[in-house]
Amino acid sequence: MIRSMFEAFKNLFKPVHTVNYPATELVLPKGYRGLIEYDKEACIFCDKCEKVCPPGAILFYQPLEGEKEYRYNPWLCIYCGECVRACPKPQEALWQSETKQQSALKEDGANEGWFVWEAACKQSREDFKAAKIKNKSEESV
Amino acid sequence: MKKTIQIPLGSQHISLLEPIRFKFECENEKIIGVDADVGFVHRGVELACTRSFEFKQVGYVVARVCGLCAITHSLSYTLAVEKLLGYVANDRIKYLRMLMVELDRIHSHMLCLAHTAENAGFEALFMQIMADRELVMDLQEAISGNRVQFDFIAIGGVNRDLTPELSALIHKNLELLSDKIDTLLGLFDNNWSLSLKYKGVGVLTLDQAYTYNALGPLARAAGLATDVRVETSDFPYEALGYTMVLESTGDIHARNFVRLREILNSIAMCRNIVDNLPSGEIQEKTKGKPSGEAVVRVEAPRGELFYLVRGNGQNMLERVRIKTPTFSAIPAMMEVFKGSEYADAPAILASFDPCMSCTAK
Ligand code: SF4
Ligand code: SF4
Repeated sequence: MIRSMFEAFKNLFKPVHTVNYPATELVLPKGYRGLIEYDKEACIFCDKCEKVCPPGAILFYQPLEGEKEYRYNPWLCIYCGECVRACPKPQEALWQSETKQQSALKEDGANEGWFVWEAACKQSREDFKAAKIKNKSEESV
Repeated sequence: MKKTIQIPLGSQHISLLEPIRFKFECENEKIIGVDADVGFVHRGVELACTRSFEFKQVGYVVARVCGLCAITHSLSYTLAVEKLLGYVANDRIKYLRMLMVELDRIHSHMLCLAHTAENAGFEALFMQIMADRELVMDLQEAISGNRVQFDFIAIGGVNRDLTPELSALIHKNLELLSDKIDTLLGLFDNNWSLSLKYKGVGVLTLDQAYTYNALGPLARAAGLATDVRVETSDFPYEALGYTMVLESTGDIHARNFVRLREILNSIAMCRNIVDNLPSGEIQEKTKGKPSGEAVVRVEAPRGELFYLVRGNGQNMLERVRIKTPTFSAIPAMMEVFKGSEYADAPAILASFDPCMSCTAK
């Protein structure tokens, strides 16, 4: 009893354990799993990253002509790194950085904006498929 | 006239971490009947695992069942799927998985001890234990790259390897921690006000533990020798210095002691793992799709975690059933409450270390 009171008194003069966040930056360990970064030049558009992603945070928009457009939702991502492991060109086309994601603001449209994009991507695939079938049948005619 | 009075505890209560509701039937201050409702945080994880995610992704989904034993959930699921795929992990993978599970056990037990102290009215001790717990959290963050959601275990291996710097960090932090645990052992044993709150309170006898199928630290505090770590052979626990920690009194004090001594045992095992890490690949390719049914049991910090996975050779699984330790321990918990004082209820509850988000999933 006396000892714990003595300990408690000693604790008054110890430095604090907590960090004055956000005024003081947090020290992240080396190899922290942060945002996924992408380089369009190296990508071969195989869609593997899109397929393995558990929450579906990477989506490609498929225009009728030209190359696909990559989009990534940093707030939906769980930073698991599956996409990087699936990518045939890891570190070149897709890699995991050590940057920590900031919280989303309303303007970022982390949810609503993404739903719109999701629907647009789905639609673009269907349109693309339909156009392809149409082209084929025109060729065969 | 009715002699008893009903007092609810929860679903929102100052001493609760997560929503659970108890209805205590009290006679004066004595609890004579209990009714519990645990389903406040149901999220439909089991259904999502079979409807929305492919089997390779489910490991990341079940990890989100619980923030504390995320690693145990993903481990159990992965083991089940690996059984279905006929894949056996090499020793390095096994050791790395064990390392994370044991680190997880340490920090989960420390959280429970902190909350038992807090609910017994010892706020300063709560703060102290939580501060010490950071040592383990830092280790886990350094190893897996994230503080809470480790996403460390994948089908066919683990996602990250241990570097020499990490091994040194593990040794350093565990050294610091084991000193602190020694101090805590003394404190929990000798502090007068803590023993008033803990000794002889919330007793679960050995007979009751048998009858109501207690598990984990709850059972071991009552002297019931049950631990999945020795009952299954998925991991080489015995080779790494596992000893079963048993107490006999079955009160809160005994449960605290089981946890403290298990932490020491886990620290010893972690050191052994780091020192004797075999060489090998950390990730191997698995082939095929799961078909058939597999059952896996893993010792989570709170007791036996049970997974059933059924697949039919497709990408989508047919059934994922998760039975969490807290859910299995509810009958024993209710029994402990009967006969104790209402004022002790929060401390007793905390000493069970209940995890509601696991239970309701
Ligand atoms: S890190 Fe995981 S969640 Fe994030 S984009 Fe890659 S696969 Fe998806
Ligand atoms: S997996 Fe890699 S190469 Fe394939 S689409 Fe994604 S980023 Fe491009």
